[in-house]
Amino acid sequence: MSAARETRRSRFRALLAVSVVVLSACDSLPGKPDPADRYVRPDAVMDFETLFAANCTGCHGEGGRQGPAPLLGDPLYLAYAGPRELRRIVSDGVPGTSMPAFLDEKGGTLRAAQIDALVAGMQASWGMAGRFAGRRLPPYRGTRGGDAGLAYARARGRASFQIFCAKCHAAQGGGTPKAGSVFEPSFLALVSDQGLRTAVVAGRPDLGMPAYYAHAVGRPMSDEEIADVVTWMAAHRVEFPGRPFSQAAPFVGKEP
Amino acid sequence: MGSSRLRAAGDWLEQRLGLRPLFEGSAGHLVPSNASSWWYVFGSATLVCLVMQIATGICLALVYVPSADQAWESLQHLDFEQPFGWYLRGLHYWGSNFMVALMTLHMIQVFLFGAYKYPRELTWLCGCLLFLCTLGLAFTGQVLRFDQNAYWGLGIGVSIMGRIPLLGESLTSLVLGGPILAAETLTRFFSLHVFVLPGLVITLVVLHLRMVLHNGINEFPTRGRGVDPETYDAEYAELIERTGEPFFPNAIHKDLLFSAVVIGSILACAAIFGPKLPNGPPDPTLIDTVPRPDFYFLALFSVFALLPPYMETFLIVYVMPVVVLALFAIPFVSRSGAKHPADRPVAVAGVVLVMTTVMTLAVLGLSSDWSPHMDAWKSVAVPVEMVEGRSPLELRGAAVLQAKQCRNCHALDGSGGKRGPDLGDVATRLTEDQLIRQVLQGGGNMPAYGKNLSPPEVAALVAFLRTLSPADAAIAQNSADPLGG
Ligand code: HEC
Ligand code: HEC
Repeated sequence: MSAARETRRSRFRALLAVSVVVLSACDSLPGKPDPADRYVRPDAVMDFETLFAANCTGCHGEGGRQGPAPLLGDPLYLAYAGPRELRRIVSDGVPGTSMPAFLDEKGGTLRAAQIDALVAGMQASWGMAGRFAGRRLPPYRGTRGGDAGLAYARARGRASFQIFCAKCHAAQGGGTPKAGSVFEPSFLALVSDQGLRTAVVAGRPDLGMPAYYAHAVGRPMSDEEIADVVTWMAAHRVEFPGRPFSQAAPFVGKEP
Repeated sequence: MGSSRLRAAGDWLEQRLGLRPLFEGSAGHLVPSNASSWWYVFGSATLVCLVMQIATGICLALVYVPSADQAWESLQHLDFEQPFGWYLRGLHYWGSNFMVALMTLHMIQVFLFGAYKYPRELTWLCGCLLFLCTLGLAFTGQVLRFDQNAYWGLGIGVSIMGRIPLLGESLTSLVLGGPILAAETLTRFFSLHVFVLPGLVITLVVLHLRMVLHNGINEFPTRGRGVDPETYDAEYAELIERTGEPFFPNAIHKDLLFSAVVIGSILACAAIFGPKLPNGPPDPTLIDTVPRPDFYFLALFSVFALLPPYMETFLIVYVMPVVVLALFAIPFVSRSGAKHPADRPVAVAGVVLVMTTVMTLAVLGLSSDWSPHMDAWKSVAVPVEMVEGRSPLELRGAAVLQAKQCRNCHALDGSGGKRGPDLGDVATRLTEDQLIRQVLQGGGNMPAYGKNLSPPEVAALVAFLRTLSPADAAIAQNSADPLGG
């Protein structure tokens, strides 16, 4: 084996090595399109974070917190609502409120599989399935009594409101420096009964409102108290809310 | 010994091919020594870009499928699967950007140096045609990307053509291959981009160069000396006699150097910034993107977006042809006289004015504030400081603001659409009554929402808007009611 042949071979190897380095450097040039930038049709997006950011943050806030619409990024809320209710609400929306229907068949922009991905993602990212495993939570859907029961419920609700809520929301409406009125007819016209119930059960810990078990009173609210307080708030709905426009009418509550 | 044999072979060939006179009449022609200037390099660099575009274009055509259902996919393949396919696309994209930019510089230089004057009027005319064809190539190329930008851009382009009186309709169907954008449209643009326009450009370039050779390159202008058609030819001949030197190999080195820099820049830009990725496929049901043309059409895009709609037809049918005709007419209107820019302040001011206008419009087009942000209502969060401390009614008002898509046109402290004013401090500007009126009746480009909002929605919305003022600013009050209300 001649020396010349030897050097030729090593030169060839060096050349090979250099071209491999150059080629791989080319492959990591800054202009090379990042596969992550590859266009995905909006109806093919399945990534939870992307879906939530593109469809929900506008109203529910980043991470489902501190938005004007109800708190979603909260373990208690997610355990209390459960995947079935979440799927139904996101698909159908909440009629009469600003929560739109997202399912394509209902006029929305998401496919059923995407809604499943959203619900699963919320549970996985923000829920803590284990934490509420042993605990009995108030059921998602409340009960309402008959007409006679309704009058009682209102009276009881008024009393419970005094105990649990008046400190912040003021018993007669109008609100306190800690929180605004929950009896504003226009507010009540834009919130569902279920929305009121959710507010009482899950609270708005992101905005300073305690959940049903965390009130300063020292004991959690019972299922009845929750239902009664909601009934009492709902009793303040009026027939023509929001008129005249210039001033939401001052509270003229119907006594039970 | 070797060289003499080579020379013999060369002579043998020359005897049969007769290339020397060809060389002397072309690359070897004499140019005034003062024309070998750095100002004179833009034209040749544009030509180099053209050659690069043809080379990269041929490579692209090997992969690109000019059919409506596969064009977009084939670009995805180039960008993400084919090794270095993205680089090829990057070269063609940046090549086109450089070509348009250099061509513009070339035109400005020719204009400022008065090079279009006698006897080079037709050279200018031919150059103008080349400029239009190049813009045509840029536009058709953009359409071949066949993404949403292309789709909407083409839609706009076609509606421009549709406005042309009498011919509008037939032109539209000629371009589209039917009344609407369809498969035929893409094949038409493909053949325009790949055969018709390049063929035209090559022919025009040959003519252009022929005229440059025939009339000689413009001498470097001297202050105080103008063109007199009676005497110019003799003066030029005398100048060549006195200072002429062959273009090749003497004067060409500046062109070569500059072209090398241009090629290097294109290679680098393609490597660093990469190609322009097609955005979504051309599907009219996808409305999640804001269509925006490549930079050469940004200014035009801005003009159309900013003009009131009733001006559009006027602009398309009258102003644009007049502008083009004016460009063509320059050498016939100012055929003789001063050449040096310092002697022609109006011409210089004109260039500055036109370029500032075009640049400003292009920058505006880049942010295209006038297009609504179609997804803001569900994807752009209400700033946390506008949520904290709000009453339940005000919170619902913020949700109404989102749900009614006000956010698509209005920002809150900078986030959201920019078509309407930012509402982050609206409470300092409008009283409650004014807010209600604005929401219900609209006005100033804003639609009236009276029929789309229920009374409680209006009440909630206005209650929320009334909270939007910076901490230290006074809230706008009704002046008739000094105590506020
Ligand atoms: C335009 C504003 C808006 C958008 C966008 C929006 N929501 Fe809502 N959402 C609301 C409002 C307002 C409510 C309260 C409805 C009520 O009063 O019951 C609500 C309620 C809900 C509830 C029920 C809360 C409860 O009472 O248990 C869920 C779950 C929910 N939204 C999920 C979502 C998800 C997931 C998305 C994104 C796909 C989304 N929302 C997008 C406004 C919105
Ligand atoms: C520690 C103070 C506090 C207490 C106690 C409290 N809240 Fe709240 N509540 C808030 C705050 C803060 C908000 C957020 C809105 C605001 O700031 O006005 C809120 C919001 C609400 C909302 C509106 C939620 C929405 O969807 O917009 C309802 C309904 C409500 N509270 C009901 C109640 C009821 C019923 C009780 C009693 C069971 C109660 N709150 C007790 C502080 C409180």
